[in-house]
Amino acid sequence: MSYIVPIGPYHPSLEEPVHARLYTEGEEIKKAEVFIGYNHRGIEKLSTQKNYIQTLVMVERVCGICSHSHAWTYAMTLEHIAGMEVPKRGEYIRVITAELERLHSHYLWLGIALHIIGHDSLFMHSWDDREAIMDILEELSGNRVNYGMVTVGGARRDIDDTGRVHILEMLEKIEKSMNRLAEILLSDKSVALRTQGVGILTTEDAARIGAVGPHARASNIPMDVRKDAPYGCYDDFDFEKAVYPSCDVFSRVVVRVLENFESIKIIRQALDMLPKGRINLGVGIPRIPEGEYMFRHEAPRGQLCYKVVSNGGECNERVSIHVPTFKNAPTVPTMLVGNSVADAGLIIASIDPCFSCMDR
Amino acid sequence: MQEYRKIFITKDEVVPIAERMKKAGVFLSMIHAFIDKDGKGNVSYEYEVGTGIESYTVCGENTLPSIESIYDLGAQWPEREIMELMPITFEGLDTSKRLFMPDNMIAGQGQILVTPMKELISKVQGKEDE
Repeated sequence: MSYIVPIGPYHPSLEEPVHARLYTEGEEIKKAEVFIGYNHRGIEKLSTQKNYIQTLVMVERVCGICSHSHAWTYAMTLEHIAGMEVPKRGEYIRVITAELERLHSHYLWLGIALHIIGHDSLFMHSWDDREAIMDILEELSGNRVNYGMVTVGGARRDIDDTGRVHILEMLEKIEKSMNRLAEILLSDKSVALRTQGVGILTTEDAARIGAVGPHARASNIPMDVRKDAPYGCYDDFDFEKAVYPSCDVFSRVVVRVLENFESIKIIRQALDMLPKGRINLGVGIPRIPEGEYMFRHEAPRGQLCYKVVSNGGECNERVSIHVPTFKNAPTVPTMLVGNSVADAGLIIASIDPCFSCMDR
Repeated sequence: MQEYRKIFITKDEVVPIAERMKKAGVFLSMIHAFIDKDGKGNVSYEYEVGTGIESYTVCGENTLPSIESIYDLGAQWPEREIMELMPITFEGLDTSKRLFMPDNMIAGQGQILVTPMKELISKVQGKEDE
């Protein structure tokens, strides 16, 4: 019997609005379609009517999870147009915030995936660890979501020595807990049953469609902007790209778990080597000369691109934002085909979608 | 350091460049577009070459050839997004389905997000009356 199963745009298993149509034969998905755009707020258009600091505040609100990534990438794009050299201490603080953001984003995803799997005790455990990271971010910035840590030309808030030591102590606890979580995640039978061999995206398909970030790395594509085209001060740190070859939902779990350890490694190095000096070039409205630039940042979900055109005036001439979910969402129909309807929610969630980012 | 290099091309060069890049294993980072003050399209194909971006830009054209057959969904989604948000079309692109919101939601296709609100409301009300 053939059915068309609609999911969304508003559905209990979806964190954000999107619409998917599953064409099924019994329980098996034969074809799938995805429709986006329910969160469109016209941010690119709005940014042409705002000055550079107003835009910085606005783009931080494109997404509630990777807010720092948006602000930082926009700032870096402007800094390259203007030829600004950001103070090293400011760069380090930006990296620390970015990696804390990656940690809490990956923990968020792990929690959601475990909830969909039905492993609620592990879901609670992972979100308990996430709370510790949110506490660090709150201590660092005063906020749990939109941190406001970035300005054009550096960071807005410094880290004092007491804060530095406290973050290192907290990381110790988080890492210990992460070790236990990783051990269970990678050996638990119910996690394995729900994730292994499910939602396969082969390396060839991932490359053909243009997947990015942890989603591509879980399909054995070793791409990571932090390593491939280093920016900020990522060159100063020793860390590895997390790549796993099984190409299924389990692979996406493994990659994010491994990345959590790498992020902790980066934050530790940044705090240990935190240079002395100023954190920014001043917090006034910057003068950006005529020009354009495109910059990429490895956000928690993958490559985030900002292209800014400036005419030398007060406002942006054009801001173009392209986010990792826009590159990863086209892989969803390919992953769904051949799987059962019961796994559709988990497979859609496995790309760690952010429709708020994608629709912008 | 991420270098950025802008190269102006004509619409006839879009496909040969895409084929050359694909053959060389270059990743298509994104296709960006905007409409200039004269209402003309400005479309940039951003390729990741080395650690930087080579931005092949076509100015003053509102109809361009699609590179969907070369870069598959990696080009199809950005082209569909541009086509639905701006008055720019891509020859050879499958436009039978919408990307932004389902095609059975409101009659017609494409450019739903640039349709004036009044027009959208009247379309929806018209559909309800039927």
